[in-house]
Amino acid sequence: MTRVLVTGMGGELGTRVAQLLEARPWASEIVGVDFVPPRRRLRRTEFRRIDPRDREKLAQFVETYAPNVIAHFGVYEPSSRMTPRSAIERTDLCTIATLSAAARTGQLEYVVLRSGLEVYGPRDAHASIPDEDVVPAPRTPYGVSLLDAEGVGAGLRTRSGTQVCALRYAPVLGSHVPSPLGRLLRLPAVPVPAFGDPPFSVLHPDDAALAMVRAIERRYDGPLNIVGPGAASPWQAARLGGRVPVPVLPPFWEAAARIVEIAGAAIAPHVVELMRHGRTGECDRAIDALGLTELRSTQEVLRELFDWAQIVPLATAREAVA
Amino acid sequence: MTAFDYGLDVERAGPAEPLPTALRRRFEGRYAFDGFGLDPHLADLARPVVSTVVRVEVSGEEHVPAEGAAALVANRGFGIFEPAAIGVAVHRATGRRLRVVGAPNVPIVGSIFRRMGAISDSPRDLAVALRAGHLVAVPLAPTWLRTGAGTPPLPLMVAMTHARIIPVAVTPGGPLGTMVRPWRVRFGPLVTLPDPYDAGDPLTAARFAEALRDSVASLLREP
Repeated sequence: MTRVLVTGMGGELGTRVAQLLEARPWASEIVGVDFVPPRRRLRRTEFRRIDPRDREKLAQFVETYAPNVIAHFGVYEPSSRMTPRSAIERTDLCTIATLSAAARTGQLEYVVLRSGLEVYGPRDAHASIPDEDVVPAPRTPYGVSLLDAEGVGAGLRTRSGTQVCALRYAPVLGSHVPSPLGRLLRLPAVPVPAFGDPPFSVLHPDDAALAMVRAIERRYDGPLNIVGPGAASPWQAARLGGRVPVPVLPPFWEAAARIVEIAGAAIAPHVVELMRHGRTGECDRAIDALGLTELRSTQEVLRELFDWAQIVPLATAREAVA
Repeated sequence: MTAFDYGLDVERAGPAEPLPTALRRRFEGRYAFDGFGLDPHLADLARPVVSTVVRVEVSGEEHVPAEGAAALVANRGFGIFEPAAIGVAVHRATGRRLRVVGAPNVPIVGSIFRRMGAISDSPRDLAVALRAGHLVAVPLAPTWLRTGAGTPPLPLMVAMTHARIIPVAVTPGGPLGTMVRPWRVRFGPLVTLPDPYDAGDPLTAARFAEALRDSVASLLREP
């Protein structure tokens, strides 16, 4: 019997993982924390609303609960649901407070944490498709913050021998997943690089959640890339959604980011990095280790993202009933 | 890694669509990429043009594996048309796509080469491409105006000792690579070492390199 703590349960992925855990008998107790409530109805999960900035309260709660397993989604993407600064602050506080408090109880056996391909930095000529052995070299605040979170996990492994798995997700896109990349691609006009059209891969939220649950079940130790097969390019993705691609010359990305922000999609540096240099990773190790044979392809995920934008607004449906 | 989006395959070449259909597909964004930047739809469109410009005569087709990873090691003079000639030959022999090592790392040209299936010359990328089951062409060092086989690139050799290695000899149809007659592309039998070896070991790679250079050179000497 396993007591599981899901941090960041108010996010899309945290909620989905909780749903999957509820269907698994080995998860005897499921408890979640976040500063916003879960996004769907959960049956046997207990939720505590604690803001990671209230570090003592969070640490105290974790210590009292003494989890065996932590599914750490308290890693927040800048410009996704909050400003870059508060996302990084919450990530740092949540990671350190939760992991160190859980380690103190002596009950902790396994930690799986959300990381991202952003840790590899801009895609370069030497490792177009990085595997887990490529040395991370993040160049954006989000990439650095993910690597810091992985570092806290690695420290825990060294000190207490706890197994730690870092899931380096490709950007998770879905019709109702808050994501700066998803918002950018759904603008009427999408900035794309004027020279070159670099490939990037994305991931379906259900696959991201399943990977985390499988990691817990199989107790994989170490980092794993989780990437939807195949790739898209900024220009192609914009056209797939019927958007107008607007070529941007290298010196004007800063200005493009400002304009896009005014248009309603705040884009953080890691999103600009993706558009300009591409982002992908080799997923073979995760497919073998976690049995992820049915990952949805990048193009499938993109089609789903754009399909949703064409759904008839609810008001029309209501009028039809009346 | 292999994605079959919109009926496009990153491993096997498909038929070139009629131009209006192809243009509509490009406009609607119904095409895909692989992680290296290969654009299978565009590559299929370009193939008829390339095979008209670069005519080839192929021998030893039976040595090219119909599926699975393999490294095709070939000589090159100037190194511009040789990869295209091998690509056309491989397509004729098996219908597969060829990934050529050595995409230049410059903005626009590099991007065009990558779309056609080129990958960078880093050992890491070569290892990833072979793990993904691709057929990869690895050129020997250019020989410029001399003939014969150039030096095998050792860092790349280390990355491919796990894979099947096939020697390829490419000879131009006319002097200095002019295309008076078709290019000749000859595939040789699998290169093996006589005794057991430790894959991934630099010493094994060096022995493979020597065996390879010999077999490419002897293919080149064949009448």
